[in-house]
Amino acid sequence: MKSRLRSRLFDQLVIPVLAILSGLVLASVFVWMAGTNPLTAYADMFSTAFSCEAFERCDLFTTLQLATPLMLTGLSAVVAFRSGLFSLGQEGQLMLGGMMAAWLGYAIQLPPVIHPLFAMAAAMLIGGLYGLIPGILKVKLGVNEIISTIVLNNIANLFVTYLINFPLRADQSTTAHSHPILDSARMLPLAPGSKFGIGFFIAILAMLVVTLYLWRTSPGYEERMSGQAPFFARYGGVPHQGAAIRGMFLSGMLGGLAGAIQALGVHYRMLSGFSGGLGFDGLTAAILGQVHPVGTTVVAIFFAGLRQGAQVGLQFTSRVPRELGGGIIALMILFVAADQIYRANLDRLSSLWNRLRRRPAVREAA
Amino acid sequence: MEGLGDLFTTDLFRSGVRLGTPIILAALGGGLCHQAGVLNLALEGKMLLGSFVGILAAFYLGSSTLGAVVAGLAGGVMGAIFAFLYLRYQVNLIILAIAINLFIAEMTVFFMRTFLGDVGTWSDPSIQQLPDIPLPIIDRIPVLGQMLSGYNIVVYFSWAAALAMYFVLFHTRFGRHVRAVGENQQAAEAVGINVPRVKVFALVISGVLCGIGGAFLSVGHLTLFTRNMTNGRGWIGLTAALFGQNHPFAVFFAGGFFGLADAFAVRLQTTTDVPPSLVQFIPQVLALLALILVALRVQVRVALARRAFRRRAQREIAAQEAL
Repeated sequence: MKSRLRSRLFDQLVIPVLAILSGLVLASVFVWMAGTNPLTAYADMFSTAFSCEAFERCDLFTTLQLATPLMLTGLSAVVAFRSGLFSLGQEGQLMLGGMMAAWLGYAIQLPPVIHPLFAMAAAMLIGGLYGLIPGILKVKLGVNEIISTIVLNNIANLFVTYLINFPLRADQSTTAHSHPILDSARMLPLAPGSKFGIGFFIAILAMLVVTLYLWRTSPGYEERMSGQAPFFARYGGVPHQGAAIRGMFLSGMLGGLAGAIQALGVHYRMLSGFSGGLGFDGLTAAILGQVHPVGTTVVAIFFAGLRQGAQVGLQFTSRVPRELGGGIIALMILFVAADQIYRANLDRLSSLWNRLRRRPAVREAA
Repeated sequence: MEGLGDLFTTDLFRSGVRLGTPIILAALGGGLCHQAGVLNLALEGKMLLGSFVGILAAFYLGSSTLGAVVAGLAGGVMGAIFAFLYLRYQVNLIILAIAINLFIAEMTVFFMRTFLGDVGTWSDPSIQQLPDIPLPIIDRIPVLGQMLSGYNIVVYFSWAAALAMYFVLFHTRFGRHVRAVGENQQAAEAVGINVPRVKVFALVISGVLCGIGGAFLSVGHLTLFTRNMTNGRGWIGLTAALFGQNHPFAVFFAGGFFGLADAFAVRLQTTTDVPPSLVQFIPQVLALLALILVALRVQVRVALARRAFRRRAQREIAAQEAL
C-alpha cells in the first residue's frame, strides 16, 4: 500500500519536477553560449514572471492572462485524452471559436453582460461541433483522429484566413483583421497595465467543472472508462462510442471557449496570427500536467510564466533572445516523455542503496 | 475566357513544381515512416532545421549544393536522435515530435539572434542560389522541355527520391520487410524481421528528405532564413502523404498537387480578386475526403468478408444436415 502510494507520488510529482530541472539545466548551456550567467538569467526570468510590484504594474497578472488560453486548450486536450482520443484539434477549435465570438461581438446588439456570454456560448457550440467531426469519424469509421484533427486544423485556419481577408475584413491595413467588437461585448481587464480579466476566472471555473465531471459524475466515469479500457467498458455495458463522441464535443467546447476569451478579452477582434500555437502549447501543458485538470492548470501558468519571463526578464534585462523560453518548454516536454531515463536510473540507484543498507545486516548474521 | 487561359501556363506549372518540391520531399519522408508503422509528426521541425543548417553551411562552405547536402545530413542526425529516444526509451512519438518541432522552431531563432546579429531574417550576399540545371535531352523537346527541365538539383532529387523509394519498397527484400513492419509489427517480429532496424532506417531517411526539402526553401527558392520559414509545409506534407496513401508515386503527385494549388493561389492573388485561401482549401478538403473514403473501403471490405464467411458457414451446415 505504502509503496503504491509512493509510486503514484513518484509518477505525478517527482518526474515532472525532475524534467523541469533537467530542462533548465540543459537550457543553461544555451544561456551560457549567449554570453550570460545562467543563474542570473534564470533569476531575472522567474522574478519577472511571477512578481507583483504594484496593482498597476503587475507581471504576474500578465502571466495569468497569457496562461488563460493555455489552460483552456489544455483542459480540452485532457478531456479528449481521457476519452481515449488523441485529439490535436484544439488549434482549429480555438480559431473557429474566436472567429464566432469576434463576429457576434460586432454583428449583433445585446446588453453588456449578456453579449459576451452569448458570444462565448456560440463559440463553445461551434467549437464543440467542430470537435464532433473527428470524434464521429474515429468512432464510426476508425479514421485516425491525430491525422484528421491536423487536416481539420488546416481547414479551420484557411477558412478563418479567408473570412478576415474578404467578407469580414475591416479595412485595408497590412495585417488582416475583422471589425473591432462593440463595447457591450468586451470583457474589460481588471487591472490597468495588462489584459488580465474575468477570462482567467472562467478558466479556473472550467478546471473545477472538468475535474468534477470526469471524476464525480457517471458520464465522466463512462468517458474515462472507455478511454482507459474500451473492452472493459463495453463488457460493463457502457455505451463507449457515445462516451467518446461526448468527450470530443466537450473538448471542442473548451477549445472554442479559449478562442472566445482571446477574442472578447484580449484582441477585441479576429486577426491573422490569432492563435500562434496556443493549441499546441495547451496540449503540451496537458501532457506535462499528467493529463489532469489541476496539473494542466499549474503547468499552463508555469509555461505562460516562462514565456513572459523570457520576454521581459531574459530579453530586456539579460539580453538573451526570448525564444529560449519556448526552447526550455520543449526540453521539459522531451524529458517528461522520456521518463524511462529517470525510471531506469532511479531504480538502479535505489537497488544500490538497498544493497548498501543490507550488507551490514548480512555481516551481523554471519 | 482569355483571362482564365492566361492562368494555366507553363509558368504556373513551373512555379507549382518549385512550390511543390519541399512538400513532396516532406511527404515522401512521412510516407516512408508510415509504411514502416511510425507516425512521424516531426516533419515540420526537421524541415526547419534543414532550412537553417542549409543556409549556414552554404555560407561557411561557400557552396549551396554542399549546403543542401549538409542540411540532409542534419535532418538524418535528427531522425537518428528521434529513433534513439523512441526505441531506447519508449518515448511517445507524438509528444516527442511536438517537443522537437517546438524546440527547433524556437532555437533556430535563438541561434540566429545570438550569433548572427539581432535580426528576424538572416542572409548574406555571398550565398548563391542553387543553380538551375537543364536536362540533356528533354531540354530540346518543345513544351515538355519547358515544363520539366531547368530546375535546380533538389527538384530532380525529389523525382529520383520518389523513384528510388518505389523501387526499394516494392522490389527489394528490405522494402518488403519495411512494409511488413508497417502492416503488422508483431507478425514481422515473429518471422524474424529486425523491426528496430527498419524503424531507424525509415526515421533517418525521412529526416534526410525533410532536411533537403527545408534547404530547398532557404538556398534553392530564396537565399535567406527567417523565423518559422517552413510555415506549415511539413504538416501539408503529412497531409499529402496520407492523401497519397503512402504509396511513393501517389504521394509524389499529391505533393505536386498541393504545390500547384499554392502556385495557383499566388497567381489568383496577383491577377484577380478570387480569394487565394479558397484554392488552398481544395487539397485539404480532398485529403479529408480521402481519409473518409479509405476508412469506408476498409469497413465495406470487412462487411463483405463477414457476409461471405457467414454464407459459407450456412452452406456447410446445410450440407451436414443433408447428410
